[in-house]
Amino acid sequence: MSDTVADFGKVSDTVTYDAIVIGGGHNGLTCAAYLARAGRKVLVLERRHVLGGAAVTEEVFPGFKYSVCSYVVSLLRPEIIRELDLPRHGMELLPLDGTMTPMPNGDYLWRVNDHDKTRREIARHSRLDAEAYDEYGKAMIEMGRFAKPIMGMLPPDPTSLDPRGLLELLGMGRRFRDMRFHDKVNQVQLLTMSAVDFLDQWFETDVLKATMSASGIIGTFLGVRSPGTAYVLLHHYMGEIDGAFRSWGLSRGGTGAVSNAIAAAAVEFGAEIRTNSPVAQILSKNGRASGVALANGDEIHAKVVVSSVDPTLTFLKFMNERDLPSDFVDGVKRYKYRGCSGKVNLALDALPNFTCLPGTGPHLRGAISISPSIDYMERAYDDAKYGQFSSRPYMDMVIPSLTDPSVAPPGKHVMSCFVQYAPYHLKDGVWDDRQREAFGDAVIDTIAEYAPNIKDIILHRQVLTPLDIEREFGLTEGNIFQGELTLEQLFFLRPVPGYAQYATPIDRLYMCGSATHPGGGIMGAPGRNAATRILKDVSR
Amino acid sequence: MSAAARYDAIVIGGGVNGLTCAALLGRAGVRTLLLEQRDEVGGCAAESEIAPGFRGPTLAHATGPVRRDVVEHLQLYRYGLTFLDRAIEVSSLSPDGRALTLWNDPRKTAEGLAAWSSNDAQAWPAFHQSLGRLGALIGGLFQSAPPSVETPHARDLFSLMHTLSAFRGLPKADQWRLLRWGPMAVADLVSESVETELVRATLAADGIFGAMLGPWSAGSGLQMLLAAANRSLAWPGGQVVAGGPVALARALRGAAERHGVEIRTGATVARVDVKDDRACGVTLASSEHLDARAVVSGVDPRRTFLSLCEADHLPPEFSWRISHYRSRGTLAKVNFALAALPSFTGATREMLAGRVRLASDLDYLERAFDHAKYGRYSSHPWIEFTIPSIDNPSLAPDGAHVLSAYAQFAPYQLRDTSWDAEREPFGDIVTATLERYAPGLSSSVVARQVLTPLDLERGWGLTGGQIFHGELSLDQFFAMRPLLGFGDHRTPIRGLFLCSSGAHPGTGLTGGSGANAAAVVARELA
Repeated sequence: MSDTVADFGKVSDTVTYDAIVIGGGHNGLTCAAYLARAGRKVLVLERRHVLGGAAVTEEVFPGFKYSVCSYVVSLLRPEIIRELDLPRHGMELLPLDGTMTPMPNGDYLWRVNDHDKTRREIARHSRLDAEAYDEYGKAMIEMGRFAKPIMGMLPPDPTSLDPRGLLELLGMGRRFRDMRFHDKVNQVQLLTMSAVDFLDQWFETDVLKATMSASGIIGTFLGVRSPGTAYVLLHHYMGEIDGAFRSWGLSRGGTGAVSNAIAAAAVEFGAEIRTNSPVAQILSKNGRASGVALANGDEIHAKVVVSSVDPTLTFLKFMNERDLPSDFVDGVKRYKYRGCSGKVNLALDALPNFTCLPGTGPHLRGAISISPSIDYMERAYDDAKYGQFSSRPYMDMVIPSLTDPSVAPPGKHVMSCFVQYAPYHLKDGVWDDRQREAFGDAVIDTIAEYAPNIKDIILHRQVLTPLDIEREFGLTEGNIFQGELTLEQLFFLRPVPGYAQYATPIDRLYMCGSATHPGGGIMGAPGRNAATRILKDVSR
Repeated sequence: MSAAARYDAIVIGGGVNGLTCAALLGRAGVRTLLLEQRDEVGGCAAESEIAPGFRGPTLAHATGPVRRDVVEHLQLYRYGLTFLDRAIEVSSLSPDGRALTLWNDPRKTAEGLAAWSSNDAQAWPAFHQSLGRLGALIGGLFQSAPPSVETPHARDLFSLMHTLSAFRGLPKADQWRLLRWGPMAVADLVSESVETELVRATLAADGIFGAMLGPWSAGSGLQMLLAAANRSLAWPGGQVVAGGPVALARALRGAAERHGVEIRTGATVARVDVKDDRACGVTLASSEHLDARAVVSGVDPRRTFLSLCEADHLPPEFSWRISHYRSRGTLAKVNFALAALPSFTGATREMLAGRVRLASDLDYLERAFDHAKYGRYSSHPWIEFTIPSIDNPSLAPDGAHVLSAYAQFAPYQLRDTSWDAEREPFGDIVTATLERYAPGLSSSVVARQVLTPLDLERGWGLTGGQIFHGELSLDQFFAMRPLLGFGDHRTPIRGLFLCSSGAHPGTGLTGGSGANAAAVVARELA
């Protein structure tokens, strides 16, 4: 992929820009594209040789291409796809059909996009649950409808006396009031309950609740029984109800292709993109940002600096904390990352053979979830709480080469495993090679319990620990969402209370990454919202 | 509604909230009958014989701070209620033999903290003050029923507006703290403020007390704020009731009788009677019918709706929701009759007369919770105990003492076994845990009484053994207690009201839910 991005834009050191965007991840690129679309002269600076940040495709082993970090797409805002015309720029989303959960007793749970089929399958476990599944689906659609406009909102400041913010809050209150009563209850519960407690109201089948609750903990250092995880459930469900094609999907050519399409749109609008350009410092004078200094010493000036990297890098690494208000610095230091997930990318000689559903078949084309019971999920969390990676982790695995053969040599496959929990801070020692391999072994051993042939078909294995994710992708503590999606770090509290509107204490310095509202995932909303805010400010 | 009804209101359950509600209704001129299933009123504020010659607080060994308005309106001091001026809020013992005391006076606490950490000593007064300010603000919401979500009344909104303007009056940092702290894990909350593990654990225990939450569970911050809110509403110096919780129950009973409330003990309610979609009285287990214009339930919401009401009187959605109202008890009570005063390493007599916590660090609390998740009791429970016979020697023979201990986690639902089989094994664990801090204690045990969540349910009607009549979680709090749309003490059945801890504000033994309900019921009947 790197050869294609090298052609984006031309390097010129003499010009002053309207805006410099630090970081060429999908949010930085989205923000740049919208600014360029509005006629601003924009420069994107990416530290690595390749664009995409965590939404990146790399040929890790010859012939095998991986969505190294983020691996599925669903949250990408439809308005972004439309406004930036991403399909024309090469983005193609392929449906990822269903989720299969193998169980230790040789049974399985398999949910697919075909509603009736899923119902029949759930009825195999519980008739009541099959009926409740309809009700649950309807309820979640209502929830998504309420939440959707909030995604595109500039979070109001409840402590400010600014009447506009209050009106927005009031507007939310009105929309809430107009909901049907039981939707109100659901909405409040989603914001406050644990994923398991929330699901308990509908379902009785353990494996069903375990698999569904798993989306409540992704990227968050909480257990499925911890209050607040129901929200993350919704955060992930959002894609299923209003995503590009109403389902989770894979991107042809890996998730990097999404980033490249956004980059291509940005370039078409006139943005300039430089890779291999690590930023060392954000230049500011008298509380006003004026540009950046690169690691090689070059200084580039701009009217506005927009950082898509996380607050720790932006404010504690690229700036001198003495130049910032101390309460803000405290807030940045308090902001929780707590990366707790890892990634294992495998190159396979053949397809894994699951005991519960032997042979190859459509069950391998969707996601494969290792989440056999709620206790299993909790035990995985317990290991991590005390500073160890889960000996039997929760995993979400996909085999993209089945849907998109271009990512592997003929007859071979790539398999991507999202693994949780792997805490950034280990109690005994650090994430060195030995720990990394031990973690990789735990992952393979876990898969082998359900697909015994896995060990014989592995050609290569790439293990990414939270420390690797931090080093490779510049995500502090390896948190894939640039900070946890917990209630006290959402909406008007994200990332720092009082600074949730993409602006910072430094005039003309903005944030546009996943650390801002509405948070992580390949969504693009932070980038788009930030661009809206910047254009409003700068036109004044 | 029957014109011939002998009573305007029947209150089911003579716990602290039932008594408060009945007494305030009587005071408002409402002809009130209070029905209690046990032989004595008091509910969780009871006292009983542990062994011949030994008496002690059966369940709660401390009241929540008694609400100022309850004391004032009922003039409880006329019925024998007095308060002890105790300087200690709570103490904690460290496994290494040191002790920590949190005093009511933050400066004194800070002085003591200096021995543990100079940073903590420095940070304490500001933290204490902040918590006090936030408590006072939330306390403002505690004094009346939450506004109805569907059809808010101007009066209710007024109190909400009042709180909003109080919110804006807070220092900006506290405004943000309030928004962040509620949904946070209490472990994070305290770790932001203090660095000594023992201090963190002592504070965090407030966030998980009686709950199915560990300190690292998000949302546990709320319960700590609620405790602070209760303190802000307390009768001045009213943190500790002289004579223990039972003295509060006695004073409330005196006030209720003074205001003409008829009290019948040994009267088990079997059913709430409904006629023409309106509660019209109750039927006792003895089949006796009692008519009233209103029925006020002081028992928990699950019991009220799922066993006292017939399902066809409730909308199906309501029944479904209430069947998922969470009331998973996790607290056991162990009472000891001791031949002598145990010697807890590092503890003074003054500390032992108050509440003492045994939880060395946050991980200890979390590990204790881990067991509960899988349906087991903690092998190393965290404990809060007190020795009430120090202040009140009449509770035990000369030189002997009673020790009252809360032990957590003891989940109501045990896997593969039952509390009837595990009662004494768990008691042994509690004894062993105390012994670790007070060598020799176990040899002085004359008698031991173990009350598991199952016993709380059987004996006191607490569904699931949940001491707060339902978990105090973010989704079961304020306008959502017990359910969104029914936070104003009203229920889907007209004329049936809730006055228990399962209604707002719903924390332990403050009289708050009973007082708020009385105001709603009295208005309705006027």
